[in-house]
Amino acid sequence: MQQPSKMNEEELVEYFRTQMRTDPDMASAVAAIRTLLEFLRRDKGETILGLRESLKWATDCLTEVDSSVAVSSGGELFLRFISLTSLEHQDLSRCKKVMEERGELFLEKISLSRTKVAKLCHTFIKDGAKILTHSSSRVVLRVLEKAAAEKKRFTVYVTESQPDTAGKQMADALRRINVPVTVVLDAAVGYVLEKVDLVIVGAEGVVESGGIINKIGTYQMAVCSKAHNKPFYVVAESFKFVRLYPLNQQDVPDRFKYKADTLRTVSDLSDEHPMIDYTPPSLITLLFTDLGVLTPSAVSDELIKLYL
Amino acid sequence: MGQLVNSDNRMPGADKEADLTERIEAFLADLKRGGCGTGPIRGSGETARETTALLRKVTAQARWSSAGDLMEIIRKEGRRMTAAQPSETTVGNMVLRVLKIIREEYARSRGSSEETDQQESLHKLLTSGGLSEENFRQHFVHLKANVIEAINELLTELDGTTDNIAMQALEHIHSNEVIMTVGRSRTVEAFLKDAARKRKFHVIVAECAPFCQGHEMATNLSKASIETTVIADAAIFAVMSRVNKVIIGTQTVLANGGLRAVNGTHTVALAARHHSTPLIVCAPMFKLSPQFPNEEDTFHKFVSPHEVLPFTEGEILSKVNVHCPVFDYVPPELITLFISNIGGNAPSYIYRLMSELYHPEDHDL
Repeated sequence: MQQPSKMNEEELVEYFRTQMRTDPDMASAVAAIRTLLEFLRRDKGETILGLRESLKWATDCLTEVDSSVAVSSGGELFLRFISLTSLEHQDLSRCKKVMEERGELFLEKISLSRTKVAKLCHTFIKDGAKILTHSSSRVVLRVLEKAAAEKKRFTVYVTESQPDTAGKQMADALRRINVPVTVVLDAAVGYVLEKVDLVIVGAEGVVESGGIINKIGTYQMAVCSKAHNKPFYVVAESFKFVRLYPLNQQDVPDRFKYKADTLRTVSDLSDEHPMIDYTPPSLITLLFTDLGVLTPSAVSDELIKLYL
Repeated sequence: MGQLVNSDNRMPGADKEADLTERIEAFLADLKRGGCGTGPIRGSGETARETTALLRKVTAQARWSSAGDLMEIIRKEGRRMTAAQPSETTVGNMVLRVLKIIREEYARSRGSSEETDQQESLHKLLTSGGLSEENFRQHFVHLKANVIEAINELLTELDGTTDNIAMQALEHIHSNEVIMTVGRSRTVEAFLKDAARKRKFHVIVAECAPFCQGHEMATNLSKASIETTVIADAAIFAVMSRVNKVIIGTQTVLANGGLRAVNGTHTVALAARHHSTPLIVCAPMFKLSPQFPNEEDTFHKFVSPHEVLPFTEGEILSKVNVHCPVFDYVPPELITLFISNIGGNAPSYIYRLMSELYHPEDHDL
């Protein structure tokens, strides 16, 4: 039987898109890692260095399709995974076998991460709570589903989150589980905060300082909650930890701020609206991850343990 | 002394077991009773020591063949003890310390360098070769002796905590300073007394109504020839501008670096923040708890409201609701420094100390 041939760019992108299509609930980082694992399986390289080079190339292809921070962090994590495994086994074929096994195991474990996060976070939602959230996040949805399943009564305010009005999708999903939800304008965050008890948002990426990168409007919400003294909780899986250290909004690399097609077609980016913003750690109360409940200062510890 | 021959022919071992159960029951009864506002019958240091001594006895006398069995037994006893008095967190903390000791001794007996790998981390997710569930079933001959020795070390550490904290006093207190404190804390008392041997300074004690433990603190301090002033709680903000440092004790240190301390502490902390006065918390490591301040039902303890509004005011009682909470929550942003028996730490570092003391799987007993 003929071995499947090495994946070229088209096949790579097609595989990634299929993964995202077949399971809309899957995080984009997980789809990226799955794609890279498949790429690894089919790779015909003879050396580990060659393997790393082709994986870097594959990650670049994927970031051209979906420029979010999550895909980039998933790719870097996978590369780190390869480096760590290749340190243990020098022989390439054995190494590849071990990588494939561990890769499958890793994917299995992280498929459980959202459940772990929901288990940790739902105890912070009390009966009768009013929650404010931003845009559409699958992790926040899972947390709220778990709280609803524990028979807690709460109401949710979701921001509409322009320019793609993702907040409306979140509201629909919540209505389906019978949670009373109100969609508010992005500009109405300050207005609504006095009624709210806590703010829960997801994250596209968690940076080394303990801050987060998320849909535009999150920073605003964090500043307002600080002013109103409301707790600002972030829920994120651990594979979203990324090795960036932005000091302000301008520091976030352009390749994350705009969608992939915008980056390709538009020449002068100063006219475009960024899709994400950076929230510094001083505004975040706690981060709920599958590694436990972390204070923002604990995040860099986790990253150091992995990367250094 | 002990009887060698029992009238109903029980084995001497059963006697020891009955003795152990008796001690545990007496301890639980003490815990339950110590719920009045003037504080528990014994200080938290003694509670910690008593708990650890009991757990050592349980380890020595209970029947167990593997580490897993022992952990189950300790967990069971721990649950009973914490249920007796949920607000006394030192009991739970000691149980978690002992569980961590058992895990470490087991890992050491197996010869694996798993001590560093205990926590969940991204690194572990990537490199572990299987969903290995460590089930602690292996039997080791010397495990019992090792665990008991480690618990003895823990007891020695507990004995020395107040002294270790007091030793650091001279670094933090300087001559002619005005220090403010709230209520009564044995740790802060020892801290201030130690500094008073070499420095002259002035202490202002907030009386901390309605139990007014500040009065006892002031008496003890003045016996050690420290110039002390007692003020009413309402005067805290007014006096704060003259204060150089605020040094307080606490009942528990929470996992986010916040405090659960005697009521009135949040007021002091806010006043100190307003005047940019450093707030120093003297708390030994056994007060560090893995809880977060979210469970409002278990967080607060209310005692008899007759301290606030005596029963003699019969007329009003049917028309008002009177509460007498014992504890206050102080958020980590208001705290400058934690002084514990292992040195000084910032509140943002608490998560690291916790990961060294307790294992994440034990957090919910």
